[in-house]
Amino acid sequence: MKKATLTLMLFALVACGRSDSPSRTLIQNKGSDTLVNVAQAWAEAYKDVDPNAAIAVTGGGSGTGISALINGTVDIANASREMKDSEVEMAQQNGVEPKEWIVGYDALAVYVHPDNPADSFNLAQLAEIYGEGGSFETWDQLGITVPGCDSREIVRVSRQNNSGTYVYFREAVLGTERDYKLGSRDMHGSKDVVDLVENTPCAIGYSGFAYATDHIKMPCISTTEGAECVAPAVQTAVDGSYPVARPLFMYTNGEPTGAVAEYLDWIMSDVGQCIIQKKGYAPARSVSCE
Amino acid sequence: MFEATEINMRHRRTEVLFRLLFGMMTILLILPVALILGILIYKGAPVLSLDFLLSEPTNGMTAGGIFPALVGTIWLVAVALIASLPVGVAAALYLSEYAPNNWLTRAINLAIINLAGVPSIVHALFGVGAFVLFFKFGTSILAASLTLAIMTLPVVIVSTREAMQAVPQAFREACWNMGATRWQTIRRVVLPNSISGILTGVILEVSRTVGETAPIMFTGAAFFLPFLPQSVFDQTMAMSLHLFVISTQVPNVPEGLPYGVALVLIAMVLSMNAISIAFRMYLRNKKKW
Repeated sequence: MKKATLTLMLFALVACGRSDSPSRTLIQNKGSDTLVNVAQAWAEAYKDVDPNAAIAVTGGGSGTGISALINGTVDIANASREMKDSEVEMAQQNGVEPKEWIVGYDALAVYVHPDNPADSFNLAQLAEIYGEGGSFETWDQLGITVPGCDSREIVRVSRQNNSGTYVYFREAVLGTERDYKLGSRDMHGSKDVVDLVENTPCAIGYSGFAYATDHIKMPCISTTEGAECVAPAVQTAVDGSYPVARPLFMYTNGEPTGAVAEYLDWIMSDVGQCIIQKKGYAPARSVSCE
Repeated sequence: MFEATEINMRHRRTEVLFRLLFGMMTILLILPVALILGILIYKGAPVLSLDFLLSEPTNGMTAGGIFPALVGTIWLVAVALIASLPVGVAAALYLSEYAPNNWLTRAINLAIINLAGVPSIVHALFGVGAFVLFFKFGTSILAASLTLAIMTLPVVIVSTREAMQAVPQAFREACWNMGATRWQTIRRVVLPNSISGILTGVILEVSRTVGETAPIMFTGAAFFLPFLPQSVFDQTMAMSLHLFVISTQVPNVPEGLPYGVALVLIAMVLSMNAISIAFRMYLRNKKKW
């Protein structure tokens, strides 16, 4: 009796699945946790574009996605870093020819309170503010007097340590060896960082520039003292002149065909690129969204 | 007249002390369960509705329902059950009714106990290596369910074997003396008398399967897949992973949503346990010994 019920249950499930649509294609999309929410948004929106394509999105990290591509278990791998030469070699040994797509950029802006007179930072200054053993503790040391910040103390706003933003900002500003200084306010979301800095005259924070509001200031960043100071923007992230921006990748096995090709074309289209911009990242090229 | 002596009083005080102590330990044990359920119901209940159960997640998984995850979990559990139940019961039958008491049987028993102690993440990695890559099932319901089946097999075997061993030996002997074969005895006497124990094993397995996250994370469950699975070779969403994802990975999830998902997950497990207890009580009443 028990088994009969079970079999019935399964048949019901199969039947209920079958009635969906007979010619559905499943696209496996796996990798970077930085990209996973964008990938999810794309998959959700694509349902209305092509109801016969089901996109299965899985996170796990860039490495997870890349090794799945090497093993041939995904159609599209997401990565917030470029594939290493050794990984490309392994893929080729398995008969996989990785093709790279830059689907957007992760550009991190440095935020300060709108009353803060600071207009520019260079990476060395940021490292002294954020890095372990860095000497800058007060705004006076930077030669800045912030109205409303009576304590003069630089209130550092950072992210929780399993955030990709945390890791990338550290890599870009402090280098791979140096750690963050202790005693920062660690927020659990990009939006939280912006909210706090907006309301705290003494604060400095970093987050995706798409989180900017009208009530916050984004100083320009230069690589070294005296070098050209670049403001965070879609254009400067795309052309690579902004120093704290990294490309976000998707990898396919060779030139994609069929449903995968159509999906990637749609991602690169204005509609797809506006979705990534809405999610807080820079699109791969300038697009005008509503 | 009986006068309580100093010794009597001391004994009584000790008695009261220990009674209080053990009683408090029991309350301590129940407290977390009650707290968890209370908080889940308080925060999760406002989210629940039929629409929540039967619609897809929308708006970056911060709104909408859990239907694909719910159906996915049922698929995973059903396929895992179909895979592990025949194997588990057959193995238990052999161990209980046929196996001689020698070193091989003892080694098998030891292996089963050890299998039960393997951490689920190790099962997950085994599942990736064996089912996803070697057998080329890909990340699919089949690979995930087989991983779950292997993980829960010891539970089924142990509970089934124990249920069979609880059937009095005299029953079997009586049956044999009537000229019945071993198989006839198993079919007519052992199995009907141990069905409630077997059922307990099944329910324990289902409860555990519903909640597991690690074994399905790499073998078959997706972060987001707003379609119902069509076959065992499809990937699927699952309740446990969905709960993990919306609690840790997705920004701006409304506070009640994870509680709602957790509440549904717990309700699934508890209702299954309730059904099994009711069924077992019904069967036990029919028992004649």
